[in-house]
Parts: sequence; C-alpha cells; structure tokens
Amino acid sequence: MSAFENTKCTCGHQNPTGTVLCESCGYPLDPEEESSDAPLEMRYDGIARRSQKSNPSPIDRVWNFFSSVKVAVRLIVITLIAAMIGTIFTQENAFISFDPSTYYEGKYGWIGKWYYKLGFSNTYESWWFIGLLVMIGTSLVICSLDRVLPLYRALNKQQIRKHEQFLTRQRTVYTGAAEGPEAAWTERLAAQLKRKRYKVHMENGALLAEKNRFSRWGPYVNHIGLIIFLLAVLLRTLPGWSIDNYVTVPEGQTVKVPETKYYIKNEKFTIDYYADAELPTELKGTARAKLYETQAVLYDCSADCDDPSKTPKLTEVTRHDIIVNDPLSYDGIKAYQFGFDDTPKLKAVNPVLIDKQTGKTYGPFKLDMRNPQLDYALGPYTLELRQSYMDFALNSDGQPTTKSREPNAPAFVFVLKGPGLDEKGEPYMYFPKQTDKERFSQDVINGKLAERFDLKVPSMDGVEFAPVETSLNIRYDRAMPYIWVGAGISMFGLLLGSYWQHRRIWLRLDNGRVTLGAHTNKNNYGMRAEVASALRGIGIVVEPKSLDNGRNKS
Amino acid sequence: MKSNRRLIQVLIFLGVLILGGYAIGHSLFASGGGLPGKGQTPPSFALLDMDGKTHRLEDYKGKALVINFWGTFCPGCVTETPDLEEQYKKHGDKPFEIVGINLSEDNLAISNFIKQYGVSYTMLQDNNRQVERAYGLKSYPTTFFVKPDGTIMDVFIGAMGKQDMDERITKLLAS
Repeated sequence: MSAFENTKCTCGHQNPTGTVLCESCGYPLDPEEESSDAPLEMRYDGIARRSQKSNPSPIDRVWNFFSSVKVAVRLIVITLIAAMIGTIFTQENAFISFDPSTYYEGKYGWIGKWYYKLGFSNTYESWWFIGLLVMIGTSLVICSLDRVLPLYRALNKQQIRKHEQFLTRQRTVYTGAAEGPEAAWTERLAAQLKRKRYKVHMENGALLAEKNRFSRWGPYVNHIGLIIFLLAVLLRTLPGWSIDNYVTVPEGQTVKVPETKYYIKNEKFTIDYYADAELPTELKGTARAKLYETQAVLYDCSADCDDPSKTPKLTEVTRHDIIVNDPLSYDGIKAYQFGFDDTPKLKAVNPVLIDKQTGKTYGPFKLDMRNPQLDYALGPYTLELRQSYMDFALNSDGQPTTKSREPNAPAFVFVLKGPGLDEKGEPYMYFPKQTDKERFSQDVINGKLAERFDLKVPSMDGVEFAPVETSLNIRYDRAMPYIWVGAGISMFGLLLGSYWQHRRIWLRLDNGRVTLGAHTNKNNYGMRAEVASALRGIGIVVEPKSLDNGRNKS
Repeated sequence: MKSNRRLIQVLIFLGVLILGGYAIGHSLFASGGGLPGKGQTPPSFALLDMDGKTHRLEDYKGKALVINFWGTFCPGCVTETPDLEEQYKKHGDKPFEIVGINLSEDNLAISNFIKQYGVSYTMLQDNNRQVERAYGLKSYPTTFFVKPDGTIMDVFIGAMGKQDMDERITKLLAS
C-alpha cells in the first residue's frame, strides 16, 4: 500500500493516486519531481488523470489505453500515413464502372497489383481505416473526459497560499523584500494586476492573480467539435442521409433520378471549344473545352412514379443551366455536370427498297435501331422484321449473334413479300452501315434476292443519330449541416486555446520576504514582461529577462 | 461516486461498441463495389414484362427467388438459360420463381430469344440500365438468390454450370 501513502502531502492534503503536484499547496509529490530542482511539470496542473488507479481492472486497462495521449498520437500518425497512401492511385469510388482487379495491375504494374491486394484502392471506406477513425474517436472522448473533469475541479478550488518550492520552481520567479506593511504592499501589487485584467484573490500574506482561464477549455471544445464531426460522418452511412450517384440523360429526354422522387430533363447539352485564336501557341490545334452546359429541368413526381406501365405525373420544380462547379440545386439535392458522350450513335435510318430490275424505288421507311416497327408496306411489297442484332457477329458455332447492346454494327433480318416472291416470303438481311455491308458480305448472304432487290439509304439525310448524352452527378447530404457545426465548434475551440493564454501569478510573503512565481501555458516571454511591468508599477524595477528561472531556455 | 464512474465507463464503451461496430460493419458489407451482398436486401424494382404488366420485387416476397440479369449479347447468359428453364420446370410445384431481367435491350431481341429458348419463367425489361445500375452490376450474367424472407442468400457472377445452379437452388428451397 506504499502507493497510497505516497499520495499524502506534507501540507496534510490527501491526493488521488498519480498526482504529480499536491492539489492543495502545489508541492511536488512525484519522487522524480521532488528530487529535481528544474521547473515543475505543470501539465494539467499536476493533477492525477481520472482513471489512474493503483490496481486497475480489465475495463480500466482498456480505458487507460485510450486515455493515453501517446496512444492517441500514434493512432493519428498511422491514420495520416494510411490516408496519404490512399492518395497515391485513383480510388475505386472515382470510377462509375470498371474492374478493379485488373485495372490497377494493368495501369501501374506490380505496385498497382499490391496496392489493390492490400486494399489501398478503397482506403477510406475500408474496415480498418474506419476502425482507426473509431479508435481515434474513442480516444478523443476518453482522453478529454479523463483530463477535463479533474482539471476543472483543480482550477475551481485553487489554494491561494502555495508551497515555497512550488513558487520558486515556476518558469517566472521573483524574490525580494517587501517594503512597508505587508498588506499595503500586496494591495498595491493587486491594483497593478487588476489593471492588467487579472482576477486577484488574496489571503493573509498570499496572492493569486489569474486571467483567461477559459483558454484552458479550448482543446476540449475542439474535441467536442471533432466528435460531432465524426458522428455526422457516421450519419451519412445511414440510408436516406446521403446520395452520390450518376444519371446519363440524352438530350431532350427525362429520366428518373435514382433514390429520389425527382425526374430530370436534359433540354439541351452544349459543349464549346476554344477557337484557335484564343489558345496559346503551344495548344493551337488541340480541342480545349470552354464550356460544358446542360440545360436541365427538375420535376417532382406526384403519382405513378415507379410504375413503368404508367406515365408519371410530373410538375416542374426548378430549372438551371448546369455548368462545371455550378450545379442545379433544389431541396438539398445537387446535380453536377460530370461528363458527356457525343460519339455518334446510330438512332434510325430511312432506307428505300430498290427493285433492281425495274429501277423503281419504294419508300423511304423509318427503321429505328431500338424497338423498331415490325411491319412495313412499300408499294406492292411488305417487309416484316424478324430479327435484329445491334452489334452483329458470328459466334463460335457460326450462328449470328450480337456482341453488345450498342448499335455499333446493326443488322436486321426481314422477310420480304410481294409480287414474284415466294408466298411465305423470302429472308433478306440488311446492314445499314456500308462498311458492315461489305465486311459481312450482305449480297452473298442474300444470294439471289440481292440480284433483284436492294435496301439503301439514298443520302446522309436519311441517317439519324442519337442525341448527345450528358452525365450528371447527383448528390444529396443531410449530414452536411452537422459536419459544419462540428467543424465550427472545433475551430472555435482551437481559437480559444491558441489566441489566449491562461496566466497565473502566485505570491507569498514570509516576514517581509516576497516570493513570486508565475505560470502560463504558452508565451513565457509575455508572462515575464507582464510581471515585470506590474512590479515596475509599485516601484520595483526588474528586467523581464532576470525573472527567467535560469534553468530553462524558453 | 465510484459506481457512477464505472457506469460512465461502461456507457461510453457501449456507445463505442454500437457506433463503432455499426461503422466498421457497414464498411465491411458495403465493400464489393456496390453489389448487394449476402444477407442484404436487394434494391427494389418495378419493371414491365413482355405483356406490359408491371412486376415488383415485393410481389415475390415469401417465395424463393432467383434474379438473373442477362442479355442476348452475353454468351454466358445464353448458355445458362436452358438450365434455368429446366430448374424452373423441375420446381414448378414449389413456392419458387425465376425472374430474368434483360439488360435494356429491345423488345424484338428479347421476344425472339424467349421463343428460341422456350423460356417460360418471367422475363422483365430494364430500361435505360436503371435497375442494372441500382444493383451495381459490373459483369454479366449475374444471378441473385433471394430467400423467401427477402434477403440475399448468394450472388453468382458469371455463367453458372448446371451443378452450381442446382446446388444453390436446392439450398435456397431449403431455406
């Protein structure tokens, strides 16, 4: 039980285990501090942390782990290093659709492969990174709680008369003789200190002057802000609290915004490039975008919103010309310009049927690439669409198939009926693109029919392309106000702690001899200047430098 | 005083366990590139079948459900279709459904395919890749096995062999 006995101070005060300086008189209790004559360790006023115990239980041990600032600093350093590694290569969430298992190795070689394998390609969403943040959060709460409560108590009931050693081992010290009656001398100094906005407490032959104590709460206010910040970040993962997705909207079309009740229309998409004259010499001849703009309209859907068999009832709520960094914004939802696709995609062709023998043409008729009409009447002839392939190819069995759903190499199989043809009709294969027609030998496939008939788009007027598509990034974040509040509180705490300093001056008079010690949590230079100035006010001229308790270099 | 302090300690640790557990758990389950994982509920959908009738995910609650994303352009999808049809016929008497969601192709392509392979299970048409995106699909085919309670039992990416399919459907029907 020696630990218990050691906590009793010479002044008779019983201190908790782990106390460095007596809570009452300030005498150093820590054996190492006691035997030294260096300036005292004044951190947290030498109080014991709340959790310091002589025989800790398992819960106390975990608590003590998180209570340690050393542990907190290590956690922060590890998190920072991980966060730095996460910035080396593009993170997975920056892509809309790609295959991460091949992308990183393909682009960055073996480093990329290991980057992906070790999980750094998704650093900020990985369980271990979140785990580190949770541990930092825990440490924030426990570190603060363990220190702020005892510190509050210690500063709230300060002893005015301190042990002599406590005073002489401060960083700012003055000793000398008090001229005249002790009480009057103290009063004069107190008046000087009050002019410097100190709160002065006096007690037979001792004085305590203190100012800006609130600055000591700065770090804890800062921590409260950080905890609110972390909790708000956690809120974002709850369903309905945040949205971050993408919609592609072809010009002139209206599409549903996923996860919301809104629909968005792209009335017009504009892309403008700089003219050569506007570009510096080294960039001349390159396409430099000047403007990407989507003229968007946002609709609120009131009924039949998710039933594809009905037309949704839409009412316009807002419209905005979206450009980069100037999103459409409504009710917390923001639509940012993200990308566009203006590669020409075939939408429809308007071919005519040519009777090669008579030279007569029938048509034109409109053949849509997507969901085309199935029957066409062309003079005496009829065409029935039987099969379509968007990206024609032959599979390993030699059967016709499609390689993708994009109309890259469209092909259509019709049944042609009419005078001079089989009653059941004869199949006719049609490739709208001239290159495909040659590549897949349309005339060979169609055989004899190709000698009699031809399907042909007479001019480029008969070719329709799909409109330009814009892609918009839809974002919605209900947690944002809480994040700002947290950040604001944290900043306020930082301000409290760094722009003001908690300054205290203790003084005791023993038979006409003055011992003065002063402490500040930062800026000892300013502290000494203030003490020197107060002493000068009562006729004691000392150089601020001479107050420096020589044993330190600050 | 002392028991009060212990209570605060326990409360804080409990808070950390709940909030931290939620955060870490969320990051664990959300990984996998947006594809809903085992134990999660698949995103709901409302899609038209070939007759223009609306089908919703909720309609299948209480039944063992296989959701198969497919396209005529995807060879793996084409090869597994006859096996799916066989399974559908085999378990026709049980509370079991197969829903094929086509990857935003057009009517003609889908109806020709249905005729060619004699598909009798429900075929739905996705529009503008909306459902496909909501499910976070990155490659095709992808098949979700959904238990009668509405949670995902398994997700299979790529073409399934007969045995892969049979094992999973047997397990699904037992759940």
